Amino acid sequence: MPAILESKSMAEAYLWAIVFLPLAGALVNGFFGKRLGRGNVALIAIAMLAGSFLLSLMAFSWVMRGEDVILRFGGPPWFRVAGPDGRALVAVSWGLMVDRLSGTMVLVVTGVGFLIHVYSASYMSHEDDGGYARYFTYLNLFVAAMLILVLGDSLALTFVGWEGVGLCSYLLIGFWYTDEQKAYCGRKAFVVNRIGDFGFLLGLFAVISVFGTANYGQLEVLARAARVDWVLQSGVFSGSTVRAAITFATLGLFAGAIGKSAQLPLYVWLPDAMAGPTPVSALIHAATMVTAGVYLVARTGFLFALAPASMAAVTLVGALTALVSALMAFAQNDIKKVLAYSTVSQLGFMFIGVGAGVFWAGILHLVTHAFFKACLFLGAGSVMHGMGDDTDIRNMGGLFRKMPHTAWTFAIATAAITGVVPLSGFFSKDAILHGVHGIHNPAAPWVGHLAWWIGSAAALGTAFYMTRLYVLTFLGKPRTHAAEHAHESSPVMTGPLWVLAFFSAVALGLGLPGHSAASELFQKFTRPVFAQATTQLLAVGHLPHEPGPWLGAFAVAFAIAWAGALLGFAMYGGAWRGLPDRLALRFPRLYQLTYEKFRVDELYDLTVVRPLQALARGLWAVVDFFAIETLLVNGVPRTVAALAQVFRVAQNGDVQRYAAVMLIAAAAILWTVLGAGGR
Amino acid sequence: MPALLNVVIFLPLAGALLAVFLPRDEVRQHKTLALVVSLLTFAASLGLWAGFDASRSAPEFQFLTQAPWIASVGIAYKVGLDGVALLLVMLTTALSPIVILSSWNSVEERVKEFQIALLVLETAMIGTFAALDLVLFYVFWEAILVPMYLLIGVWGSSNRLYATVKFFIYTFVASVLMLVAILYLYFHNGGTFDYLATRQSLQVTPEVQRWLFLAFAVAFAVKVPMFPLHTWLPDAHTEAPTAGSVILAGVLLKMGTFGFFRYAIPLFPEAALFFRPAVAILALVGIVYGALMCLVQTDMKRLVAYSSVSHLGFVMLGMMALTAEGLQGSVYQMLNHGVSTGGLFLLVGLLYERRHTRLIADYGGIAKQVPWIAAAFVVVTLSSIGLPGTNGFVGEFLILSGTWVGRLPRAGLYAAVAATGVILGAVYMLWLVEKVFFGPMRHDANRGLRDLSLREAFVLAPIVVLIVAMGVAPMPFLAPARPSVDRLIGLLQQAEQRMGRGPQVGTVPPALASARSVLPPAPPAPPAGVAPSPFEQGGGRP
Repeated sequence: MPAILESKSMAEAYLWAIVFLPLAGALVNGFFGKRLGRGNVALIAIAMLAGSFLLSLMAFSWVMRGEDVILRFGGPPWFRVAGPDGRALVAVSWGLMVDRLSGTMVLVVTGVGFLIHVYSASYMSHEDDGGYARYFTYLNLFVAAMLILVLGDSLALTFVGWEGVGLCSYLLIGFWYTDEQKAYCGRKAFVVNRIGDFGFLLGLFAVISVFGTANYGQLEVLARAARVDWVLQSGVFSGSTVRAAITFATLGLFAGAIGKSAQLPLYVWLPDAMAGPTPVSALIHAATMVTAGVYLVARTGFLFALAPASMAAVTLVGALTALVSALMAFAQNDIKKVLAYSTVSQLGFMFIGVGAGVFWAGILHLVTHAFFKACLFLGAGSVMHGMGDDTDIRNMGGLFRKMPHTAWTFAIATAAITGVVPLSGFFSKDAILHGVHGIHNPAAPWVGHLAWWIGSAAALGTAFYMTRLYVLTFLGKPRTHAAEHAHESSPVMTGPLWVLAFFSAVALGLGLPGHSAASELFQKFTRPVFAQATTQLLAVGHLPHEPGPWLGAFAVAFAIAWAGALLGFAMYGGAWRGLPDRLALRFPRLYQLTYEKFRVDELYDLTVVRPLQALARGLWAVVDFFAIETLLVNGVPRTVAALAQVFRVAQNGDVQRYAAVMLIAAAAILWTVLGAGGR
Repeated sequence: MPALLNVVIFLPLAGALLAVFLPRDEVRQHKTLALVVSLLTFAASLGLWAGFDASRSAPEFQFLTQAPWIASVGIAYKVGLDGVALLLVMLTTALSPIVILSSWNSVEERVKEFQIALLVLETAMIGTFAALDLVLFYVFWEAILVPMYLLIGVWGSSNRLYATVKFFIYTFVASVLMLVAILYLYFHNGGTFDYLATRQSLQVTPEVQRWLFLAFAVAFAVKVPMFPLHTWLPDAHTEAPTAGSVILAGVLLKMGTFGFFRYAIPLFPEAALFFRPAVAILALVGIVYGALMCLVQTDMKRLVAYSSVSHLGFVMLGMMALTAEGLQGSVYQMLNHGVSTGGLFLLVGLLYERRHTRLIADYGGIAKQVPWIAAAFVVVTLSSIGLPGTNGFVGEFLILSGTWVGRLPRAGLYAAVAATGVILGAVYMLWLVEKVFFGPMRHDANRGLRDLSLREAFVLAPIVVLIVAMGVAPMPFLAPARPSVDRLIGLLQQAEQRMGRGPQVGTVPPALASARSVLPPAPPAPPAGVAPSPFEQGGGRP
């Protein structure tokens, strides 16, 4: 082990172990888990994560040592196809890379993953042996796939992890597959993600056809030398500028990100993904997998920086998603659904950040969000445990005294996401809003200010719905029998809660504003990763050379957070308690629409799903059955048979009839030859 | 070494002859004999695999055997393998024992004839891939129809006669066109049936070449099957016994794509380039249309059959890309489809044996009852929808990227439309999995379902292992095909030079390397969905 810390080549050689450990855990538990017994299953799964986390820490310690330290593991070739001239465009190897971006991500994935594995050991204890082993198999497999996604050194390998996490998400959402609805939710998640992956694939092909490689390191070098105004002479993009081609490619990749990170218009799967076990919601659908899209945009930031239109699209989609999903969270009564819409909204904030070109802020929000949202979800799981799997917040209330650990950690995380000083969410979210306020996107100069307005409104909404959630769940008096008899969860579950709450608080140290040595540590830390993109964005005037004054912007954000929180408290726990009901009565349509999530699912059903089914049904009936089968395949033999029937009349062996035919025919011939009337 | 190929071809036939002399009532002996013979054949074919030289300097066809057959008209027994044929022979010899083992208990009537039919079929299939004489190829090609006709017609389900006659007439009529073309080649082009000699000395006018290409192409397109010649497939698959379905999907469909790869394209390269957009468009239609048909099926086998139309569309598209990536992916996808769709038919067969119904609605929620079948089904499904880590991904990725970087006009559009097949694939396959295995247990009849027996586990294990192995380490399976792919591209490059209309085949080099700072006189339109950025900025010019 110390050799890994001393020799860089050793550290690189062991990179694969980070991925292999959880993979091995998945294989062992998958094949033998039922026989191993649940204690061993949990032990193996957790130990693999612990080992992976330790290795990640060691790798991370390497990238801490210097700005230019990047661990690279070349990896064996996976597939490589060369033409007759020996040149290979499509060449994918199992290569891994740890730089300051992927190093941070790996720590989040294995660290939060470890805590959630521990928590799950207790949370899933009601499952039978087979289910327990299956759960940890999927969970380990997920971590392995997520690590490939993050560590992969090429877009192609990232895509492998990308689809791999999608598979695990599918399996885990539908974990309780005997419930038809849950199985459906899993399938929905996979299919919606595939729509995004369609864009990812096209973006990947575009990158390959323009640059001739999908390797991040090589792409970065090629992108540095690319002149965006030049015109491509060959291939799919022949005749368009380099910028147009890169815009296409980045928009394609962003389409993938929209699917995976549940942004408008493909966010519909994430609220349904709450059908899975709650720790899964915490790990996959809050802390790690859904942030993959943000990671992808940041990872390929040097390409996005060459395509201002794509940057504008990312910012705008992020901002709209942040606001719309915050609105949807207002009227939800399921504790997990509120958190799900909140996740969609927070992911929107991250996209505002990376789209604005303040990549570090987007990624920092990713990290802090991983802590506080995992904490919130695990807290929700703890509440569900205490409440006998009831998730309706209308049935709760007064849980603060019944479940003090859960309530306190939930409070810390709520304060963090709301943006209360001095918790982490404030600094990461407001670094994003502050950053987007100052940008000047050459493709759409208005996008910065617009995103700031929308984002600030979304922040207000966040404070409101989170306070509502907290008040209804933990404060006031118990509203049901179950709430009155709720019990605190075991230390195995509350332990991870406290660790996550702790990090939700201390992660603020990474994003302190200002210009001192201790401020914006994370920006300084990730500077080498985003240097090329930042230089490009500065060159085109996208990013301001002088950051604007931060104090005013932060004061506004601070005021917004408190305003939303106070409003939420007043309306659900304070003086205006009757107001929500009165509003719902006063504007029944609006309330109903919000409650039904703006009926987007129904809209998609009407505009996509049903037409597709109708098309398939129509084609089957008209083309396959009627045109090909009835007319051609069976029609030709039938026509032949019918003709034969006709001719058979002429050959029935009746001599008299032959004579009659002959007579009539002769008369007809005579008639024609001599002419009618004997002229 | 040359003798080994002959052994691989005729060992199954020898086994069939031996079986003729075994008494009809010794059912077990017949089964064991067939299994042992097919396993021996597989072992012998491993020798071919090991002995094949995939380097660029190696001869095109290896394990050559040549002997006069009907010397008076120049028909010879000439067999040999290139890399693609080798891979398909391996697929055949690997699937055959699996098929025999899978129908161990399900076929109870006329076991003797059943095993004989399977063994004869194996020889015919291997012979088709190995033949290097046009008449010999035709003989093997047609010889397949007889045992297959019997397999469906004798051991099939209720509507088997309609299906098998349809199958026979469809393929036979189309094949006769090919025979006419072969005879035309003999009488008007040097008087030889030898494949290599014909390929090298083709001297016909472009119009004639197009007619000849069409004659071959229609015969192959029926087998693939390409839209709109596909409607025999759902019937044949649905009515065939499991063994028939697996062989039909696993190997017989590949004979069509192999025919394009070996005969239609290299024999008539100019005509192939002429018809390329049409074939590619039919391939696209097949991908999307086949997938859409899957959405409305109620019968599991019919659904899998239509999914074959979609998957084989990918194979044809990759071939028409005429890039190394596309062609390699095309060959790889032939193997993938053999493994994964073969696997799907095996699994559907397992369920059918237990419940005697293929209707999706008769199942539902059986995963708890048969967890191992469910797990295997999910793995094969993942392969079918091209999840990374399974073989399906490598094939689809190569085909799509190979199309994108190829020189088909509007290559990007082709790749994009084909990629929608990837979405639809997930839609219908996961729907099938959900309706059959997930949800509550709907029918009490399913409560007693048995999970995998040991024999069935042995049937499925090679499929699952191949899916993962070919997904994680595809290079050993890609390497043998490379010389053939390079050679085909070379042949077509010669043709494009003769035609003198600029490059039409091969991979377009990375566009950035040849980017220029001046606008060309008339820029062609960018692909759909890409508008050149409206904001052109100064600077950046050299």
